[in-house]
Amino acid sequence: MVKGRSLLRWAGILLVCVSVSFVCIEAQGEKEPVKAPESGRPDRIKIDTLAAFGELELPPVTFFHDKHTDVLLKEKKSCETCHSVKDHKLSLAFKGTNAAKPAEIKDIYHASCIGCHNEMAAAGKATGPPDGFCRSCHNAKPTLATARLDVGLNKVLHFRHVESKNIPATAVDKNNCGVCHHDYDKKTKKTFYAKGKEESCRACHGDKPKSGEMSLEQAAHQQCVVCHLNLAQKGVKETGPYVCAGCHGAAGLALVAKKNQEVAAKLPNQDALRIKRGQPDAALITYNPKDESGKAAKPLLMNPVAFDHKAHEKYNDNCRVCHHAGIESCDKCHTLLGTKAGKFVTFEQSMHLKTSQQSCAGCHAAKQAAPNCAGCHNRMVKTGRPDEATCRQCHVPLPDGFGALGGNLAATPQQKAGVAEIMLKSRNLNPGTYAASDIPETVKIKDLTDKYEPAEFSHRKIVQSLTQGMKDSLLAGYFHRDPGTMCQGCHHNSPASKKPPNCSACHGKNFDAKHPDRPGLQAAFHGQCNDCHKDMGLKQLAATNCTDCHKEKQK
Amino acid sequence: MLRRTFLGLLGAAGMGAALSKSALAAGTQHFTGHPGSFGVLFDATRCIGCRRCEAGCNQVNGLPSPAKPFDDLSVLDVKRRTDAKTYTIVNRYDKIPGAAGPVFRKFQCNHCLEPACASACFVRAFSKTAQGAVTWDGSVCVGCRYCMIACPFEVPTFEYNEPLTPRIMKCTMCYPQIMSGQLMVPGCVGACPTEALVYGKRDRLITAARERIYKYSGRYLDYIYGEHEMGGTSWLYLSGVPFKALGMREDLGVTPAPELTSGALASVPIVAGLWPVLLIGIYAVNKRKDKIAREERLQAVAEALTKAHADTEHKLERAKTKAEADQKAAIEKAVKNALEEAAKAETQEGD
Repeated sequence: MVKGRSLLRWAGILLVCVSVSFVCIEAQGEKEPVKAPESGRPDRIKIDTLAAFGELELPPVTFFHDKHTDVLLKEKKSCETCHSVKDHKLSLAFKGTNAAKPAEIKDIYHASCIGCHNEMAAAGKATGPPDGFCRSCHNAKPTLATARLDVGLNKVLHFRHVESKNIPATAVDKNNCGVCHHDYDKKTKKTFYAKGKEESCRACHGDKPKSGEMSLEQAAHQQCVVCHLNLAQKGVKETGPYVCAGCHGAAGLALVAKKNQEVAAKLPNQDALRIKRGQPDAALITYNPKDESGKAAKPLLMNPVAFDHKAHEKYNDNCRVCHHAGIESCDKCHTLLGTKAGKFVTFEQSMHLKTSQQSCAGCHAAKQAAPNCAGCHNRMVKTGRPDEATCRQCHVPLPDGFGALGGNLAATPQQKAGVAEIMLKSRNLNPGTYAASDIPETVKIKDLTDKYEPAEFSHRKIVQSLTQGMKDSLLAGYFHRDPGTMCQGCHHNSPASKKPPNCSACHGKNFDAKHPDRPGLQAAFHGQCNDCHKDMGLKQLAATNCTDCHKEKQK
Repeated sequence: MLRRTFLGLLGAAGMGAALSKSALAAGTQHFTGHPGSFGVLFDATRCIGCRRCEAGCNQVNGLPSPAKPFDDLSVLDVKRRTDAKTYTIVNRYDKIPGAAGPVFRKFQCNHCLEPACASACFVRAFSKTAQGAVTWDGSVCVGCRYCMIACPFEVPTFEYNEPLTPRIMKCTMCYPQIMSGQLMVPGCVGACPTEALVYGKRDRLITAARERIYKYSGRYLDYIYGEHEMGGTSWLYLSGVPFKALGMREDLGVTPAPELTSGALASVPIVAGLWPVLLIGIYAVNKRKDKIAREERLQAVAEALTKAHADTEHKLERAKTKAEADQKAAIEKAVKNALEEAAKAETQEGD
C-alpha cells in the first residue's frame, strides 16, 4: 500500500510538470514575434472585408494591387474586371461586395479571383494561385509589408491642379476649384461647390470614416485616383498617378517632386503659387473682441502684431503648418479664455506656446536649431518665460496716426490689414551689426597664460561670418535688426551696446565658490568656443589639442 | 500559568525588544549631511573628456605615473575604474540614444553623507568629516577590506602589491591638502578647463544644479544624481542623458547604508545583554521549582509511610483482638460441647 501511494504521488508530480511545460511551450510559441517583413511594397493591400462581420476564419488576404493592374493593362482589360463603374465613377470596393451578405462576399471574391486565375492558367499564362491553395492568399505571415509614403498636396502640386487645362471645367467654376472642393448639404445628402468657402480635405475627412463621411484615405482615392484614371482613359497624356506606387512609392514621389520643381522654376513670380482663397497679404493679429456671450470684451490689451501672411505662405508647404485641419482665423477658436473647439488653448498661448509647432514662438524656436543659429541660441537661457525685451520684438507700437484704428477692435479686417501692411513695409529686415571699423579685428586672450601663449581670436571675422549666415533669412533679419542683438550671442547678460563689457568683467578667477554657476574666465572661454563650434557643425576642437588655439609657451 | 505558556511569553518579549526598530532608529535619525559641508558638482554636458582632472589628481596626490600619459585619449576606448594608483578616472560613453556625440563621466569616491564604508569598518578607520570628505585612517586599519565590499559604488581599492603595509586607496576630496591650505579646491576640480566640476558648499551646489536645469530646459535631465542616492552623496552629477547610460547605478535607493544595518546591529547589545539574564532567570526559576517539588515529594512519602505503618498496627490489633475473641469463643464452645457431651452421657447411663 505504501509503495502504491508513493507511486501515485510521483505520477501526480510528473503530470504537473508535463502540463506546466506544455503550457509554457505553448505560450512561448504564441509569444514568438512574427518576424516583421524586411521589405515592403506600397501596393500591398490587406483584404479583410469580412472582418466587419465578425472574426475571420482565415488570415486576411495579401493582395498586390499594382501587380494586378499591370496584368490588366497587358491583357487590355479594363478596371471593370474588378470594380464597378457608375456614371464614369469607379467604385473603390470590389465589384458586387458593397451591399452583399458575408457569405455572398466570400463567394464573389473566390469566384472572381480564382476564376480569373484559372482562365489565365488555362491560357498558359503566369497567374496567381488556383483553387485549393488557400494559404497562398490567406497568408498569416506575408513576406512583404505595406510600405507607403505619403504624397501630400503641397502648394506647387495644388497650383498644378488649379492651372491644369486637362481638368474638365465645371459649370460653376472656371478655376478648377469646384472639381475637388465641395461642401455637403445635409438635407439633400449631396455635395455641392460653395465658392470662396473652400476648405482643406481634412476639415471634414478624418482618419476614420464617420457616418456619411469618407475617411481622408477613402476620399483621396475616390477623388484623385478616379479622376486621374478617367483622364487617362480619355487619352490625356499628362495625368496624375493612378497606380499605388505613383503616389506612395519613392520613385513615384520623386517624379512628382521633379515635375513640381520644373513648374515652380518656370514661374516668373512665386506669388502665383499662392492659393487663391481670399486670404490677406498682411494681418494685424489681435484677439477676438467678442467673448462667448457676444459682448465686446476688454479693450486692446497689447500692441497688436503685424503678421506677414504672404511671406509665411512662401516659407511653408501648406496651410496646415499653422492652421489646423480646417482653415479658420486663429481667434475664432483661440479666444482670450479659450474654447472647447480650441482645446482651451487661449489666444495668447496659441501664439506663444513653445511646445507647439503651430504657434509663432514654437515654430520660430524650432528654427533656432539650424546650425547657423544654434551656435548662439543653444547656449541661451531657455526657461520658457520670455524676458521683456522679447515681447517688444513683435509687439511694436502702431505707426503714428493709426493708433486709434489699430487699437479699435471693431475696425474691419481690411482696415486692420491696411495698418499691418504699412507696419510691414516699414520693417527693417536686414540683419546688421555695427560698422566694421567699430568691431575689433582680433582679440588677444592673454588673461590666462601659464603654459601657453595668448590665444589670437579673430573677432571681426567671426562677427562677419555670423552676419553672412543670416543674410538670406528674413526671420533672422527681423529678429536681429538691432545692431547690438547679434553681439549678445557671446556678450550675454548685459544690455546690447556698441561696447559691450569685456568677458573678464564678469568672469573672474576660476572656481569661485560664491558663484558656482558663473564659470571662471577659462571655463567661460572654453565653454563658449567649444559649444559654438560643436553646435554650428564647425571644426571640432579636440579635447586635448590645446595647441589648436594656443601656442605652446617657449621656455 | 502553564510552564510552557510562560516560557513562550518570555521569549516573545525578548524578541520584541531585540527587533523593535523605533527605539533604535533614534540612533540614526534623518541626517541630511553636515551643515555647510562641501561637495563637487559634475556636469556631464560640460565635460569634454580631456582627462585633465585625472592628471590634476595624480599630481596633487603624488600618485605614480600611469603607463600611458594623460593626454593620450586612446585610454578612453575601454571602460576603466579606479585602482590603487588612480583616485579618479573619466570614461567615455558612445552611441547613447538622444545624445549628439560621446558623453563623458568622471568616476571617483562619491563621499556619501552616511558612508557605507564607515559603517562597515569595525575599527572606525573611516570618518565622514564635517567638511564633507570621507577619509581613511591607516593607523587603525586592519586590512579586512570590508569597506570594499560595503561600498555601493565600488570605490575603495587595496594595495595588493604591498605585502607589508597595504593601504586602502580612494579619493580624499583633497581633504588633507585643503585643510592645510595647500589647495583651495580639489586637484581634479582645479584642473578642469571647462568647469564641468565645481567645488562648493553642497547646498549651494544643489541650488546651482537646479538653476541650470531650470535655465537651460531641454539640456538636462530633471534629476541631480547624488542628491538622494544612498542617503545623499557629496559628489553631485548633472547629465543630459540617463545616468544608467553613463554606467551609474540607478537601483541604489535613497536609504543610507548604515540605516540598512543599524536595526540589526543595534539589537546586538540587547540580545547579548538581555538574553543571558533572561535565560539564567528561567534556569533559576526552574531549579527552584524542581527543588520545591522534590521536597514536597519526600514529605509526602514520609507521611504515606507513617500512615501505612499506623494502618498496619491497627489491623494487627484488630486481628489480634479478633483472634483472641475467636479463641475465647472456641474455648467456650468446646467447653459447652464437652459439658453437653457429659450431660448426654449421664442421661444414657441413667437409663
